[in-house]
Amino acid sequence: MDDLTTVITENRLVGLWRLIKGHSFLYLIASISLGISTLARTGMYLWLRQFLDKILPGGPSTSMLLLVGLGFVGLAVLQGAFTFISGALAARTAENTTRRLRNFLFDHLQRLTFTYHDKTPTGELISRSTSDVDALRRLFADQVIGAGRILLLFGVNLAVMMSIDVGLALRSIIVIPFIVLLSVFFFRRVSKAYEAYQEQEAVLSTTLQENLSAIRVVKAFARQPFEREKFERENWQKFMRGRSLMTMHSLYWPSSDILSGFQMLAGLYMAARMTIEGTITIGSYVAYAGMLVWIIWPMRNLGRLIVQMSMGLVSFDRVKEVIKQTREPMEIGFEPPGGDLEGDVVFDEVGFSYEESEQVLRGVTFHSEPGRIIALLGPTGSGKTSLVNLIPRFYEYTSGHVYLDGVELNTYSRSYLRSQIGIVEQEPFLFSRSIRDNITLGVDREVGDQEVIDAAQAAAIHADIESFPEGYETLVGERGVTLSGGQKQRIAIARALLKDPCILILDDSTSSVDMLTEADIRRALDNLMANRTTFIIAHRIQSVMNADQILVLDGGEIVQRGKHDELVMQDGLYRRIYEMQTNMEIALEKELSDGLH
Amino acid sequence: MAYTEFQEEEFTSEFNGRTLRRILGLTKPHWPWLIGFVVTIGFVSALDAYFTFLGKRIIDEGILASDPDTLWEIVRLYGSLILFQVLNVFGFIYLAGVLGERVQYDLRRRSFNHLQNLSLAYFDRTPIGWIMSRITSDSERIAQLVTWGLLDITWGLMNISTAVYFMLRINWRLALVVLILIPILFFVAAQFKKHILLQYRIVRRMNSKITGAFNEHIAGVRVVKALNREEKSLREFEELTGEMYRSSYRAAWLSALFLPTVVIISSFAVGGIVFYGGYQITLGTMTVGGIQAFIAYVTFMLWPIQDLARVYAELQHAIASAERLFSLIDSVPDIRDHPNAYDPGTLQGDIVFEHVDFYYEEDKHVLKDFNLHVKRGETIALVGPTGGGKSTIVNLVCRFYEPRNGKITIGGNDYTQFSLHAIQSRIGVVLQTPHLFSGSIMENIRYGQLDAPGEKVKEAAKTSGAHDFIIRLEKGYNTEVGEGGVLLSVGQKQLISLARAVLADPEIFIMDEATSSVDTITEALIQKGMEALTSQRTSFIIAHRLSTIRKADRILVIENGKILESGSHRSLLQKRGHYFRLYTEQFKRSLEDEFDPFKNPSKASGSA
Repeated sequence: MDDLTTVITENRLVGLWRLIKGHSFLYLIASISLGISTLARTGMYLWLRQFLDKILPGGPSTSMLLLVGLGFVGLAVLQGAFTFISGALAARTAENTTRRLRNFLFDHLQRLTFTYHDKTPTGELISRSTSDVDALRRLFADQVIGAGRILLLFGVNLAVMMSIDVGLALRSIIVIPFIVLLSVFFFRRVSKAYEAYQEQEAVLSTTLQENLSAIRVVKAFARQPFEREKFERENWQKFMRGRSLMTMHSLYWPSSDILSGFQMLAGLYMAARMTIEGTITIGSYVAYAGMLVWIIWPMRNLGRLIVQMSMGLVSFDRVKEVIKQTREPMEIGFEPPGGDLEGDVVFDEVGFSYEESEQVLRGVTFHSEPGRIIALLGPTGSGKTSLVNLIPRFYEYTSGHVYLDGVELNTYSRSYLRSQIGIVEQEPFLFSRSIRDNITLGVDREVGDQEVIDAAQAAAIHADIESFPEGYETLVGERGVTLSGGQKQRIAIARALLKDPCILILDDSTSSVDMLTEADIRRALDNLMANRTTFIIAHRIQSVMNADQILVLDGGEIVQRGKHDELVMQDGLYRRIYEMQTNMEIALEKELSDGLH
Repeated sequence: MAYTEFQEEEFTSEFNGRTLRRILGLTKPHWPWLIGFVVTIGFVSALDAYFTFLGKRIIDEGILASDPDTLWEIVRLYGSLILFQVLNVFGFIYLAGVLGERVQYDLRRRSFNHLQNLSLAYFDRTPIGWIMSRITSDSERIAQLVTWGLLDITWGLMNISTAVYFMLRINWRLALVVLILIPILFFVAAQFKKHILLQYRIVRRMNSKITGAFNEHIAGVRVVKALNREEKSLREFEELTGEMYRSSYRAAWLSALFLPTVVIISSFAVGGIVFYGGYQITLGTMTVGGIQAFIAYVTFMLWPIQDLARVYAELQHAIASAERLFSLIDSVPDIRDHPNAYDPGTLQGDIVFEHVDFYYEEDKHVLKDFNLHVKRGETIALVGPTGGGKSTIVNLVCRFYEPRNGKITIGGNDYTQFSLHAIQSRIGVVLQTPHLFSGSIMENIRYGQLDAPGEKVKEAAKTSGAHDFIIRLEKGYNTEVGEGGVLLSVGQKQLISLARAVLADPEIFIMDEATSSVDTITEALIQKGMEALTSQRTSFIIAHRLSTIRKADRILVIENGKILESGSHRSLLQKRGHYFRLYTEQFKRSLEDEFDPFKNPSKASGSA
């Protein structure tokens, strides 16, 4: 794949030139073809002049007239052919460049660090890789070519006019600077007004979306009038913005029409007088009248192209901003020759902080032998997630050491580490593709159907999947079925089972589902944890009770450690959580026995 | 799922005149605007044709006649007509533009207001995305048709007919020769547009796939990294961009070929004009100005002809859009106020289900001959497996749906005789997935009572247990919750929706307990809030937590649309039936865990 980091330069034009690397020659030919087609068009007017001045007065023969007629066709073919060549080549350049840029950005984004993704909103990255890239495509495909065409039309026709009469030619372009200024001014304004209009459109969509997804709440509180009013406000606002946008258009086009129209008329009048006086020939007049149109009217659009091109450059800057970010080196590092890891994990005085913010982890020290279960317990923000995120090298610890099978963690290659680690998140992210795909995502080899089914059965999701009409081929998400939290989690468990990692990271949330599925998930998890070093981020005491080691975190430090029965004996955070969670249950148990006796 | 019905079709196969008339009918309240822009665009095009004719007169009557006075006269006429033309240009842009926005506004308002009256059944079977695109893009496309589409058609037809008129006037024989070109051009344009549009459709589809891929892989970047899938994802993505490249390059290539083809075809006309016109000049039946005008008119006709194919495609599109949007506007709410619906003044009283049958889809009964008597002020806990009918019961109480057979009475009266507003304004509901609106916490709680002063809102928050966490937030009650409440945790959202219900001070309270995990402290707060709401009020709770169940006055075990058991916690336990099993199942595990923390994980839940 081409490396596009070269487009990062001080000079934006150089950067753009590098962006079309490999196609710049084609683009050059496109520009030259554009010039030739413009010449051919102007040639038609000269040919007309020749006909009117030289051939017609001599009483032309039929064959002569036929020749003249064919001349027009020939020039048109020439013009058409080169217009096509320039259009097709510009499109080729633009589309190829866009494809390369899209691929590069896609790959790049997946290889940027977690830290970068944390601080950059998804929507921002999406808009940069879609609408900004498209703005660049239009820049190459339409705008540069369009502006070039206007300027070439202007230059070539003006030059020919000057060959007819310099004074006349110069007097024909007096208003041109004003038209250009006016159009730049207008299009700059109008693009702002359009942005405001689009923003309001987004606001309106959000209002609508919220109303629809909360329709039960709306109905439950009988708030229809309130909602109508809210929507009405935004809807009216959009109408007003649309109206002012239209008003701007309805003022600009007539004003530029006045300028252009009177310039045209003045030109025709002057040229007609000159013809009557005999300064220029009738053929010259007709040719002049034809060319005048091509000098004046296209200019009204130049402002639009200039504004669009400047927006294209802004898009370029925004894309460059992403390209500039450094990637996570995936392959660099140590890979043990033996293949799989044992899963012996040592944390030695590990500290961690996100960029320039306060310490998230401090002096974390513990040791887990292969196949053991380590439970992490603590309030939100205590550093549980940060701790486990260090193990697949999603983030780099900032002090201390982590040893994996006796080797310093940050010497392993990331891609190797991640192939050895399985993660089941609390709310797993599923891709909007088939359930089968979602289960097999984590493995590189071909997977047979039976293997998938086995994994799904062990994850207690097989029966659910079979109940969908399309079984394992059922699509997940918007276009397919909506899965419950518990189902998603069990699919993620099946995924992890199939991946068969040596180390497992589990964000436990068995309490998120009703009684029956909770049991299913519990069973699935137990299948998964067998014989792997497992880190559980736990929210409840029940899920840490059978851990080999419980680490209680608070404020980024391990405040208590041990097994359940040790910790309940100690005064501390663990017992407080335990008591809170069990008090209720003890009471219930008592009641249960009361009820039974 | 009913998704297949809502797949977006790209075109309707037939040209539907009824729909077209109905679309045009949308402009009825604003008819002067419509007439205004049709007239002005007509003027614009007629004047443009006339300008060309004046150009001919300048040559023939001014230059060739060597008559400066006539020349000046023509120029003056030309100039004053430019001023008139400018007014027309202003007129058609302003009138059509504003009318378009207005029609969109009307359509959106009408469909939104209609949506508010539709019953939940409609929203159950219609995906939100489908409704969204009806109201946003379809309304826009329809408005475009009655404005710019109509404008293009008027302009195009006027252009062609005025050009033909002036050509016939200048030299009818030559004009007839040129007219041969019109059908040829039209045919070529239609062919091109068909293929180009086809490619663009693929481009659009690929584009949304590419955006989707970006969306998914950025939102899911953590999973991609965790699964080590960067290479594989890229390879899949390259297939998308490759296909995108092929179709968009093809579309661009065809577009680039289109214009030259039109120019070359028309150049035969120009050649013909010069050939035949030149011959006639020698006979004295044609003038130089005439030739120039003919060439101009040929170009003049080119634009609308190559455009009409596009306009026709847009027309088809807009009709398809209109059919979909009208289907939304025409759908009738299943549940409406009866003609004599009244407000009983209060919903306090016993709620009775008498022989109620209910189904969402015919032949699939959810409730059959269901009977239930709830006393005023009672708290009912509904337990049982998913899909057993618990939600249906509370939906019926809210009158989100109505019984298909049998009746529900509140305070002795059939509740279908009450107005919907009377019922729904007196019921407080807390949903399983609490839904918040973007805005501040204050605004969200206030949704329960729109005119509540800040003090009262805080009061409600205190009662529901939300106050403590709210004041610990940096901006307190003014904290923005984000779209859908994303900036808050599930537990916090629940507390806020409880506060909302407290503020509404309903006579009937309904809660679908959330199943998602909340931390222990928040759960205790939620518990407290619920107690505040259930005391003194008739309450229905779809319960998942044992503590909730235990506190209910009466527990109903619902399975397959039937009440299997009913009674207090204690009496049901003693019965040793379904409830006993449900309850102990959940409990056994926690007890096991408690007494045997070292047990082998692989056997952990075999008993459940």
